Amino acid sequence: MSTAPTSTNTPLVCWNCHERTVGTHFCSACGKLQQIPQSLDYFALFEMPKKLWIEMDGLEQKFLQLSWKLHPDNFVNATEMERELSLQRSSELNDAYRTLRDPVGRVEYLLGIEGERKEGEKKQQAPPELLEEVFELNESLDELREAKESGGDLTALRVSLEAARGNFQEKLVEVDGQLQSAARDWDAALTADSAARKKIMARLNELLNRRSYIRNLVTNVQKELL
Amino acid sequence: MAYSDKVVDHYNNPRNVGSLPKADPNVGTGLVGAPECGDVMKLQMKINPETQVIEEAKFKTFGCGSAIASSSLATEWVKGKTVEEALSIKNTDIVRELSLPPVKIHCSVLAEDAIKAAIGDWKKKHGIEVQVAEKASH
Ligand code: FES
Repeated sequence: MSTAPTSTNTPLVCWNCHERTVGTHFCSACGKLQQIPQSLDYFALFEMPKKLWIEMDGLEQKFLQLSWKLHPDNFVNATEMERELSLQRSSELNDAYRTLRDPVGRVEYLLGIEGERKEGEKKQQAPPELLEEVFELNESLDELREAKESGGDLTALRVSLEAARGNFQEKLVEVDGQLQSAARDWDAALTADSAARKKIMARLNELLNRRSYIRNLVTNVQKELL
Repeated sequence: MAYSDKVVDHYNNPRNVGSLPKADPNVGTGLVGAPECGDVMKLQMKINPETQVIEEAKFKTFGCGSAIASSSLATEWVKGKTVEEALSIKNTDIVRELSLPPVKIHCSVLAEDAIKAAIGDWKKKHGIEVQVAEKASH
């Protein structure tokens, strides 16, 4: 994915008729399928504003429409260039749909294109007020592993780990709620100045890190409890 | 990735693993987490209030080999030092001693932060003004 923040309005030239094309997917002059413009992000691909609240039915309909239009089956008799393009664009469309459909993936993606989060970056932000609990959890996990090896009694350990897991799962729900409310803030600030938007993005980023940290913990506990 | 001999040695024979009574007024506890990987480290020291000499140090680390080696080394280094001397230990000293590669620098940062946090906790218990913690250089 390109991160170059090119303007969405950059005039593009059709590879086929060399006219300037204004259509997102097809040339407005000759109707040929176009290359993926560098500036086209997933939101623009679905012709949606960069909002974090997305109406699912609308997204799905748009996806079905587009996938029908871009589908390689429509291009079996077309030129090699068009067949290639249709493949590329279909797979991009699928990625875009999968990303936007997922409320968390959507936030990650948005922060990525806004330059607020590097691709693939997954900082495991240990929330300072959780350190104590995290440490204890790790200790119990250790004890459980040792007890498993030595064939000791696991019942009490399991009970306390189950409780810890429940506790962290609750925190996960809490973070999800906070993420939702920050997402609403973002949507409300769509036309606000960049400082205000930056602040919301920083918050979203922090919440994402927190979420992935807690989720990791829960997964680790789950693995041990199996 | 290959670990240096010193890391392997500390990893296999970590010094001073364990804990000290947290409630003891002479014990400072530092609990820190690495944002990069989520590893957590606890470092505790028992400090003589008269001489300000660190008499005992213990650690427990849930993390990678470098983090374990860094904290093990940190406990060795701080023992016998005064609080002020211990505060001058830099993560770069740890990196040098253990020959840590760039990707493992944050593990040494964790150890430096843990030393500072433990001393900060002890100072707080004794009503000593804690200077705004200087962030370890990465
Ligand atoms: S990899 Fe996280 S402390 Fe070393």
